[in-house]
Amino acid sequence: MFSDAEIGIFLEELEEKVQVINENILILERREANSAVIQEIFRAAHTIKGSSAVMGYDKMARLTHELENLFDRLRSGALQVSTPLVDTLFEALDTLKLLQKEIVAGGGDNGDIEAVVAKLRDHHNDNCPSPTLDVAAPGAEPVVVEQPDGLLESMVREAELKGFHAFRVHVTLDSDCQMKEIRVFLVFETLQQSGEIISSAPPAEELQEGRFGHEFSLVLLTGDDLDQVKNLVLSIAEIKSVMVTPIQFRETSIQAEKEIVKNNNGPAAIERQERQNIKTVRVDVQKLDTLMNLVGELVIDRTRLDRFAEIFESKYGSDELAESISDISNHLSQVSRDLQVEIMKARMLPVANVFNRLPRLVRDVAQKLGKEIDFVVEGKETELDRNVIEVIGDPLIHLIRNAVDHGIETPLERETAGKPRTGTIHLKASYMESQIMITITDDGRGVDVENIRRLAVKRGLCDEMQAARLSDREALEFIFAPGFSTAGTVSDISGRGVGMDIVRSQIEQINGSVEFATRPGHGTTFTIKLPLTLAIIKALMVGLGDSVIAFPLIYVVETIIIKPTDIKYVRHNEVVVVRGKVLPLHRLREIFNGQQDVEQDKLSVVVLGSADKKIGVIVDKLIGEQEIVIKSLGSYLGQVPGLAGATILGDGQVGLIVDARSLIKDTGVEDVAYAAAN
Amino acid sequence: MNTHSGDLEEQVVVFQLANQICGIGIGAVVEIIRMEKITQVPGAPDFVEGIINIRGRVIPVIDLRTRFEFEALDFTDSSRIIIVETGDTTVGMIVDAVAEVLKFSSGNVSPPPGIISGAGSDYVRGIVLDGDRLVILVNIDGILKKTEIEDLEHILSGPEEPVQQGV
Repeated sequence: MFSDAEIGIFLEELEEKVQVINENILILERREANSAVIQEIFRAAHTIKGSSAVMGYDKMARLTHELENLFDRLRSGALQVSTPLVDTLFEALDTLKLLQKEIVAGGGDNGDIEAVVAKLRDHHNDNCPSPTLDVAAPGAEPVVVEQPDGLLESMVREAELKGFHAFRVHVTLDSDCQMKEIRVFLVFETLQQSGEIISSAPPAEELQEGRFGHEFSLVLLTGDDLDQVKNLVLSIAEIKSVMVTPIQFRETSIQAEKEIVKNNNGPAAIERQERQNIKTVRVDVQKLDTLMNLVGELVIDRTRLDRFAEIFESKYGSDELAESISDISNHLSQVSRDLQVEIMKARMLPVANVFNRLPRLVRDVAQKLGKEIDFVVEGKETELDRNVIEVIGDPLIHLIRNAVDHGIETPLERETAGKPRTGTIHLKASYMESQIMITITDDGRGVDVENIRRLAVKRGLCDEMQAARLSDREALEFIFAPGFSTAGTVSDISGRGVGMDIVRSQIEQINGSVEFATRPGHGTTFTIKLPLTLAIIKALMVGLGDSVIAFPLIYVVETIIIKPTDIKYVRHNEVVVVRGKVLPLHRLREIFNGQQDVEQDKLSVVVLGSADKKIGVIVDKLIGEQEIVIKSLGSYLGQVPGLAGATILGDGQVGLIVDARSLIKDTGVEDVAYAAAN
Repeated sequence: MNTHSGDLEEQVVVFQLANQICGIGIGAVVEIIRMEKITQVPGAPDFVEGIINIRGRVIPVIDLRTRFEFEALDFTDSSRIIIVETGDTTVGMIVDAVAEVLKFSSGNVSPPPGIISGAGSDYVRGIVLDGDRLVILVNIDGILKKTEIEDLEHILSGPEEPVQQGV
């Protein structure tokens, strides 16, 4: 059996290759394929075939073998790309993903592949006058049954008598391998330490001159076992994969393998490079979280040490001892900060993890709706905290679906409107200050504000008076309201009216924001802003009695000082007029423990804002801005209303983080509207 | 007599709570710490005293007196927080004092008397007669039962719909 680590590596490689195939089939479909694209898919399929065969996933090996065959024919020009072919390829890819899922889930590859394999074969036969169906891949079988030619067989049998094993070693070099001959030499040299190489394909001379593709195989007689041989070969750099299979003889022979490799004493002492295949380790995210916690503690200890240094200095003046304490403390702070940064980095993944799923989605939905769409993706390499990546998948899929379904018009509509038949959806990720910005732009029909107003009234979200009074921007915000749908008809792609509000709440849950701008007839742009990480946020710290409370800075618009006499009342709500605008007020003390404020002649107000809504929160005192590490309140408490979590303060105490988003949201729209009207 | 359970030796951390002597399985106890400043959490159930920082982790602390519906008193110098862990939940429990670790054979455990019923019965796993004193074995899972909190959460979040596609 294979260890979890080995299976892990296999699955990672599988994931990567499946993605490669996916991307390249999409290119293929656009008929922009050149031989490199086909070659790419061919190689990916080949790699999966090899490794899945080694791992014992026979169905996967068989499926990829069929894919490989097909692409071999495409590569040679015997087969042309056609729409049914691409569809079949996608079907095969889906089946492959299904098998992948099953393996990930811990089972074998039990999915049904027969239907797809049959289809692949059909295509294979379609355009091919002289079918050369090799039913099973040589590598797909656990044991290679050789067709003996007398010489090879007799040598192998003889060796077996002496207790040696015969292995077929199939080596695949990295596609960007520069000096193939050297790799070949190293493989031969290394394997000769283990036993005797009795044949190779292509012949040894050709191999030595580098006249071969990226793979070759040889027959090895050795006393070592399969894994040892495999590891030996893998110890050589630029080896992509190696397949070792035991050789057994049966029946008659066809295969020609006559070349016997002579002992070759090529150029001596070629520097052996480090093992290339294992450079990464997989670490549980929880372990990283624990590390982060510990670093946080280190920072607290550092703060305490700082305080000691101060005490020392005030007691003994600035003597050497006091100075070296502050030196140590400074160094500690630097080290812990670096440590924190490094651990943060370890949690980052390129956004490609999510983006790569999308082209296929666009293709499928567009095809279903009969739309023609160019999907342009930019900034795939932008890195995000993996927690963020896990969360944004669904909202992104949703927005893209909407863009295809509601945004882009049908080719006919577009032509009538004087636009090109093919619509464009542009997905872009980029860094902006300490945030990530993802924009989804379509050049479709845009959103009609009047339509939104009508629908909002129809859906009972506001009355006509209110609707008329709202600015265009405010009215457009309704698309994020629960139960609002702009689609006239409900399709199975989108339009059940449970979408945009969830998109927004999912994004806001991770302290992100989503906004959109639209120009009727020209298209719509959604802008998602996300924090680089969920673990650390900037916060405004305020005092309430003797406790410290944090407001996430992204919701803080400004802080103001008001006099108690500035407070006015609208109905029962306290408000204050700031620069001619009415700001509803809350008192943190009342929110937190229901107590009345102490009388003060000056009140500190934190102004919070999200979208176009603003509220003020009266606090005891303002402390300042600080970066804080967000901690959950733990599974026992779960979500506590009004709180977004807790953080550990500089002195080791726990401070609470206000759920500013819900605070803003829960201040009724009506109050605001009413207040605004007065 | 059940030979399997009869010979099993159990260890519990014995603590004082109001006028009761209680024991909690030692396997669940992570550590016992002195009282420290607890940050109150508004909106949490009333038996949740607040949260504390244990080596970078935020741990909720519950007041066992309130949880057991005893009279709430001010904490004293002998008050302790017992940090317990079951499953993936870690909480601190404030008790009046921690006495010792008691070993006993599980054969000496008698089931909770039938008279005890209602809210309290969930918290009691059994009773051990140790010399002339009775040690009440508390059931951590019973104490940590989240029904109330879950109810609260449910009310707050409402019947949230699963994420679906559609505008």
